Amino acid sequence: MADQNENRARIMGSYIPRTAGPWLSEADQVYDAETIFGYIDGAGEVYRSYNMKLLVSRSFHKDGKPGLVADIFDMGTSADAFGVFTHDLDGEDAGIGQGSNYKAGLLSFWKDRYFGSVYAEEETEETKAAVLELGREIASAIPGEGPKPVLLAFLPAEGLETGRVCFFHNYSVLNYHFFVADKDILLLDQSADVVLAPYVRGEGKSYLLLVRYPDEAGAARALESFLRVYMPDASPSGTVRTEDGKWTAVLRKRDILAVAFNEPSEIFVRDQLKAAGSLIDEKGRGTH
Amino acid sequence: MSRRTITRRDFLKAASVTPLAGALVPALKGLQAAQTDKVKVVLIRDPSALDASGSPDPAVVFRMLDEAVCAISGRTDALTGWKTLIRPEDIVGIKTNAWGKLPTTSAVEQALRRRVLDAGVPDDKVGIDDRGVLRNPVFQNATALLNARPARTHHWSGMGSCLKNYIQFVPRPSDYHPDTCADLGEIWTKTIVKGKTRLNVLVMFTPLFHGIGPSHFSKAYTWPYNGLIVSRDPVAADATGLRVLEAKRREHFKEDRPLQPTPHHIFLADTRHHVGVSSPDRIELVKLGWTDGALI
Repeated sequence: MADQNENRARIMGSYIPRTAGPWLSEADQVYDAETIFGYIDGAGEVYRSYNMKLLVSRSFHKDGKPGLVADIFDMGTSADAFGVFTHDLDGEDAGIGQGSNYKAGLLSFWKDRYFGSVYAEEETEETKAAVLELGREIASAIPGEGPKPVLLAFLPAEGLETGRVCFFHNYSVLNYHFFVADKDILLLDQSADVVLAPYVRGEGKSYLLLVRYPDEAGAARALESFLRVYMPDASPSGTVRTEDGKWTAVLRKRDILAVAFNEPSEIFVRDQLKAAGSLIDEKGRGTH
Repeated sequence: MSRRTITRRDFLKAASVTPLAGALVPALKGLQAAQTDKVKVVLIRDPSALDASGSPDPAVVFRMLDEAVCAISGRTDALTGWKTLIRPEDIVGIKTNAWGKLPTTSAVEQALRRRVLDAGVPDDKVGIDDRGVLRNPVFQNATALLNARPARTHHWSGMGSCLKNYIQFVPRPSDYHPDTCADLGEIWTKTIVKGKTRLNVLVMFTPLFHGIGPSHFSKAYTWPYNGLIVSRDPVAADATGLRVLEAKRREHFKEDRPLQPTPHHIFLADTRHHVGVSSPDRIELVKLGWTDGALI
């Protein structure tokens, strides 16, 4: 395993330039899912929750200028690289890799199975240009592209905020984006694939959550748990009007659970789940 | 003013921080504890705490800590106040936080050390450490602990807090990561630290109110607050610091944007592990010094 990691780290390191304008690089730091806490403290849990395999970090220095740091994470799959990228979607699109954003000296992007981050200790015009150029060079060096998670294909298009869709696996990350409950009432773990999609239809924002479990039995158990804890007052069709006057509904299609939260009307919530159900029927077979 | 409706999502959030049973409304009312005892938290600020380069001024920091200890101990003389916290026969570990981007700072560490020595503790019975505390003989044998760390938002626990600063006292810190660090308060019940903490200092010189990227840090999301929050109760100190961070987020983002993940470890340290109090109703906040932009 150590040899494998060494080889992977060498390949990942080859994607990062040795210099960035006047900045010179230092020795690479390499971390795996066990040692990542030595680099980014408890925040390593975010990357572990996306099944992170390896991180190669390279710092750049130049006297009198803020330091730069380029991190490349091997996430194992393009779905998880996309997922960890969606953990923080704030910022302006930088047009790098298969998706990117830039804000306050930080560039984040994903391409194939890799998530990349280039950071300037202080944002100036010069460091912003250097960060973006480093990101472009790294993304160009990564060969190939990877597919987004399959679940995205089951999201109805009408009203979808496409740039704000998140992909993850566990309930702590779900709560980070949209608080549901402090307990894991949807029975999520690393074997579950989850998409949370915001919608703007009518007044306010609503959310569609899609969870794919390893099998139908898992989805059935999660449905029972969610109905019991979150919506014991649901109608037989799995619909409830919550205390704020919004509507929530749940539907199971084989191994997939769909939950629509905060819809403005009963018609909207039913239509939303019906549309998702149709897409799952139409595009979902054989995709697991 | 509009009153926001309490939803089942609010209830499911509240249920984790208080032993609820029964209907929604009575349960939420139960969040307001009936106890009347208050713990003292000192917020002290000074516009000259940071020099022109942004570094803490050791002399100003020393004075701020002295004033805070006077307020906490009820003594007018600072050294007398320190002597109510530290005895000459104590072995004292100063638990710091060495995270490079936002450390406790040497100014705070050395001010604490100086006052421990002034209280009569021999030099070889005082230690300053962070990640090495379990291997450090001073901490292994400590009879008293001083806990000092900067306030910041945190990618996984919601807030880098006084409570969280003790995670290095367990052999596998990651054991306390589940449920976004919900049970950090439990660490404070372990023999190596239980009952030993004489003072908590939440450093608020340049707090981080929003984090980005793998290291969850950008100078763009810090600001010169020039303060210290000091208390014998870590939970009360953290709950007060959290109010400042959330107020700053409201000011900056121009909307109510609570910390994510929710730093529920602070409230659970109160309701589940009983190592301090988190409700503002049970905290006596003493504000000293500079008041501009105090936010709370």
